[in-house]
Amino acid sequence: MNIKWDNDIVTIALEGRIDSGNSGDVENEIHEAIGDKKPASVNLDASALEYISSAGLRVILRLRKDNPTLRVINVSSEVFEVFEMTGFTEMMSVEKAYRQVSVEGCEEIGRGANGTIYRVDKDNVVKVFNDPDSLDDIQHEREVARLALILGIPTAISYDVVRVGDSYGSVFEFLNATSFSRMIADEPEKLDWCVQEYVKMLKLIHSTLVPEGKLPDMKETVVGWAKFMQDYLPEDKAKKLLSMIEAVPQDNHMIHGDYHTKNLELQNDEVLLIDMDTLAVGNPVFELASMFNAYSGFFEIDHEAIKKFQGFDLETAHKFWQKTLRAYLETDDEEVIKSVEDKARIVGYTRLIRRSIRRKGLEDPARKAEIDLWTKELIELLDKYDTLLFDVDLKREAPKDELDIEATEENLDTVTAFVDERLEKVGCSMKSQMQIDLAVEEIFINIAKYAYKPDKGRATVRVEVKDDPVQVKITFLDHGKPYDPLAKEDPDVTLSADDRPVGGLGIFMVKQSMDDVLYEYKDGANILTLVKSL
Amino acid sequence: MLDINKTPNDTEMVIALKGRLDTLTAPQLEEELNSATECANCLVFDFTELEYISSAGLRVLLSAQKTMNVKGSMTVRNVSDEIREIFDVTGFSDILTIE
Repeated sequence: MNIKWDNDIVTIALEGRIDSGNSGDVENEIHEAIGDKKPASVNLDASALEYISSAGLRVILRLRKDNPTLRVINVSSEVFEVFEMTGFTEMMSVEKAYRQVSVEGCEEIGRGANGTIYRVDKDNVVKVFNDPDSLDDIQHEREVARLALILGIPTAISYDVVRVGDSYGSVFEFLNATSFSRMIADEPEKLDWCVQEYVKMLKLIHSTLVPEGKLPDMKETVVGWAKFMQDYLPEDKAKKLLSMIEAVPQDNHMIHGDYHTKNLELQNDEVLLIDMDTLAVGNPVFELASMFNAYSGFFEIDHEAIKKFQGFDLETAHKFWQKTLRAYLETDDEEVIKSVEDKARIVGYTRLIRRSIRRKGLEDPARKAEIDLWTKELIELLDKYDTLLFDVDLKREAPKDELDIEATEENLDTVTAFVDERLEKVGCSMKSQMQIDLAVEEIFINIAKYAYKPDKGRATVRVEVKDDPVQVKITFLDHGKPYDPLAKEDPDVTLSADDRPVGGLGIFMVKQSMDDVLYEYKDGANILTLVKSL
Repeated sequence: MLDINKTPNDTEMVIALKGRLDTLTAPQLEEELNSATECANCLVFDFTELEYISSAGLRVLLSAQKTMNVKGSMTVRNVSDEIREIFDVTGFSDILTIE
């Protein structure tokens, strides 16, 4: 066993097979090597490790107990699998051995915020990250790409991570792929087709509902930009900007975050979305803002720069962007199109100004002129508009959800939690939530108490949420005795306490607080539906 | 979940509720009130931390009110807007003494 000391860091090279036959020897050897010394960190170099059994893993566990900073490095794919399967990768730092790849002389086919994409051979491309310490970013991009794929967005997922010089890269398979930027530049006759496919993908992204907490919320980011701007805009304008952004409702649908034509690829007649690390959730206005910047905002003074970035000129970019807006909004109404573009510009300029100032743009006369121009335009737009919201038909499907549960009083909390979880996703007010909880309690408890009496039975609770305007529909279904709770006469709520019977208020309260309550008996089932607009 | 906190003093019994007063927790309150209404002539409910009340909770309040109409007085304090509206809809605003 090869043991090396570098000051107080010890690197121990593990070799061959470690199993119950030799794990004791390996452990003794390591203990002798470390002796009484207290290493600041222990690296187990697994380059030459071929196999490790649970006896070997136990040695590592014991060693880690005395040396909490222990890392296992240069692990082959096969051995890594063992670490992964046994949960060791979650307990300690286990790093794979990465293949070294050179991109020297390779064609650059894309460049994004965090990295550059090279074609390394006919079938493969590598995205090399700018930041050498980018393993977390790579992992993040892989996770969000996987999430997007599961949610139905056609995208490429990297199948390997490699070393490129001092940085890391992720490898994608890419057969004969062409970016939309390249198509627009080389084959102008395809512009309309590109617009059509580009908008189709955009609408798909914007109608994809993302489970809560899986992606960052773009609104939070943009609120941060607006707060930064408080020092660089006249006070009233700065306040207005922040309040307009804060007024944008929470939206759990996906946005790409960097949706320009370099990030859309055509591969064997299939359109693929790439560069997924900016994926987020939020209102579409945030997406349109970054799109506006990619085709226009960035290049308002330096018109030529877009050629380097996209491969086509500013005139083509404008044409593409304007056609995109029309197709996305499904209108030719110039006034509507202009207003949506302006709203996108408000967010777009906010981002550009902040970005440039943070990169010391105010110290460079040419870039200061750009900041001044964006600021002037932003102020004019803030005078003109009071909201960032606009109408777009995204044909979003109402998310549907169902709970099948035994109808007992004890299950009330489960049913309430199930409904509330869905209400929270759409941003329901306290008052509406309480009214809905009340109605849910009345109906569910009625079923639990009476529907199957004296036996027990099940109930189905279905929650459907419709967008624009937000409306909740909750359906209760049971197979108990036919019973129409709505047929009961309303109580007289004007009577004094002494004259009023105790009880009989439940259904009345439901009727009062819901927009609609419907009952039907169909196919042997009581079906009660509550409808409420939020 | 419902926390019931009873604080008796010289003239009144203060009952502070925290959490949800619903089908599952109403029996709990009913039991506490049985003993409270027996010994106190002046009952005060503090709803500062009451988040939710359903018809099962209203039933308990109405029963208590009926008892106290005979025995003494009952007051409800610190009612949130949301619960206030439920009292309005059900006519409880007229039945209860809300401060």
